Amino acid sequence: MVNDMTKEELKMLANKLMFEMDDKEYETLLSEFDITLKQMELIGKIKDIDKVSPMTYPFDLELSDSCLREDISNNEISFDDMKINVKDYEDNKVKLPKVVE
Amino acid sequence: MTDKLIDEIRDKMAKNEVTSDMLFDEAVSLGNKYQSDYNSFVTILEKKEEEEGNSKLSGIPYVLKDNISTKGILTTASSNILKDYIPLYDATVYEKLKKAGAVLVGKTVLDELAMGGTGTTGHTGIVRNPWDKNRMAGGSSSGSVSSVALGIVPFAIGSDTGDSIRKPASYCGVVGYKPTYGRVSRYGLFAFTSSLDHVGVIARSVRDVSYVMDVIKGHDEKDMTSLPDEDIKYEDYLENSVKGKKLFYINEALNIKTDNDNLKEIIKNFENTIDKCRELGMEVEKVDFGMDLLEAIYPVYNVISCAEATSNNSNLTGIPFGSRVEGKNVNDIMMKTRTEGFSELIKRRFVIGSYVLQKENQEKLFLNASRARRLIVDRMNELFKKYDGLIMPATEDIAPLFDKASDKLSDEYLILGNHLVLANFGGFPSITIPSGFVKDMPVGVNITGRAKEDYLVLNIANKLEGTLGYKGQVKNNE
Repeated sequence: MVNDMTKEELKMLANKLMFEMDDKEYETLLSEFDITLKQMELIGKIKDIDKVSPMTYPFDLELSDSCLREDISNNEISFDDMKINVKDYEDNKVKLPKVVE
Repeated sequence: MTDKLIDEIRDKMAKNEVTSDMLFDEAVSLGNKYQSDYNSFVTILEKKEEEEGNSKLSGIPYVLKDNISTKGILTTASSNILKDYIPLYDATVYEKLKKAGAVLVGKTVLDELAMGGTGTTGHTGIVRNPWDKNRMAGGSSSGSVSSVALGIVPFAIGSDTGDSIRKPASYCGVVGYKPTYGRVSRYGLFAFTSSLDHVGVIARSVRDVSYVMDVIKGHDEKDMTSLPDEDIKYEDYLENSVKGKKLFYINEALNIKTDNDNLKEIIKNFENTIDKCRELGMEVEKVDFGMDLLEAIYPVYNVISCAEATSNNSNLTGIPFGSRVEGKNVNDIMMKTRTEGFSELIKRRFVIGSYVLQKENQEKLFLNASRARRLIVDRMNELFKKYDGLIMPATEDIAPLFDKASDKLSDEYLILGNHLVLANFGGFPSITIPSGFVKDMPVGVNITGRAKEDYLVLNIANKLEGTLGYKGQVKNNE
């Protein structure tokens, strides 16, 4: 994988992530991509890398169905607690910005 | 008194020479006094919480990193996007400490969202090193480490995803411990990289770390990655003989040519530390780890941590979470909230994370990084069949001057600057203890052991600490 990344591509990624960056920040990011992709190119060449499965946790956590609790409500938050973080509310309802156009 | 070890404080309390109210007042007063110079805190509590429970930690003041949920107490993760966030629930680690009677003094500054290793990216300013104000404390558990090093509290809670407890502990001359993955519940810790995040302890002795671990460890049904309970107390293992225990160090990391005088001194310090291990009856051997795997350590960490961080922080939009910036519609609100809320470093990491997760890149980048992680961990586990632990200098240099270090990715690669993350990859218990000074700045040695053998790592570290002579070290800047 050669780094032919452009500022436009990075801009697209940033916008997908719902933020903007300035030109200088994109320059730094381009050079970081250069390093990251070069390093990852080497990793692709490590012996036996194609023979192992990706590791998602440090060791086998022996997760089983028994880890799932019964589907019973056990964590209620009172409105008085919740409103600490709420910008605007009325009676016991939170006012949110309109999220459906 | 807050600059003393826990047993010394308990002794004074037993003789009624000091009370927990006095300790809290002292910690608060020291915290306030040092705040303008060192900036350890986001919040210093004004009022002592009601004391509960009875344990070795009863009445002992401590601090929590500000990415750990505390109901009703501001918890910012040192990010502008959470600058007003007050959690609705307690993290399990906080709840356990409360039930044990420990007394919370404040919430400490970290690198924004725990992503960084300098202590310079928190939204309330930089954290300075207690041993030299012109140098970094390191990060991301910057304020937790500096408040222990300054003698404000005898212990602190931090989090460690790459080296965020153990590296700053080395820079500031205190003990930093990252337990086995899953040993301490992460319920209430703001997730950064779920497959690498750990809650851990900073203190001024291995014994004090063990006292705290014996309180905070244990299974938690609220954390699916939490390990089953073990029926032991680490404290009981501290004084076991370590005769015949086998340690290894990574030859490629130390067998290097360098012009850096500090590194030369650090290697000398390490050789001296190894001599002490041998005096204790341990065997220490050098091992060739494999250069291809060693060189993969940082890129693997970079790719995995950025990818998981992007996903974990996607809820910070200003709608369900995050300090909302008003806009003309929902997209505009999210865009403005995230643009203003995250600093440049965080955004860069998120973009890298998003890129490696894109469908067309996932195989070569994210999945290959996860495969390399397995090969590295397999190599460690292979060595752990023969050896009880890995011993290494904790860092490649003393705490950097503020104008010398950067969070930008660099081509320069030193294994000694990155090896601590090995313990996060495999969930291995890992501890840094002070081992001396280079240019009047503290340096440390790191010991990493087999997963789920926390007791043995603490045992070896405690015995070694006893011969090194830095137990209880504090930088008292009175």
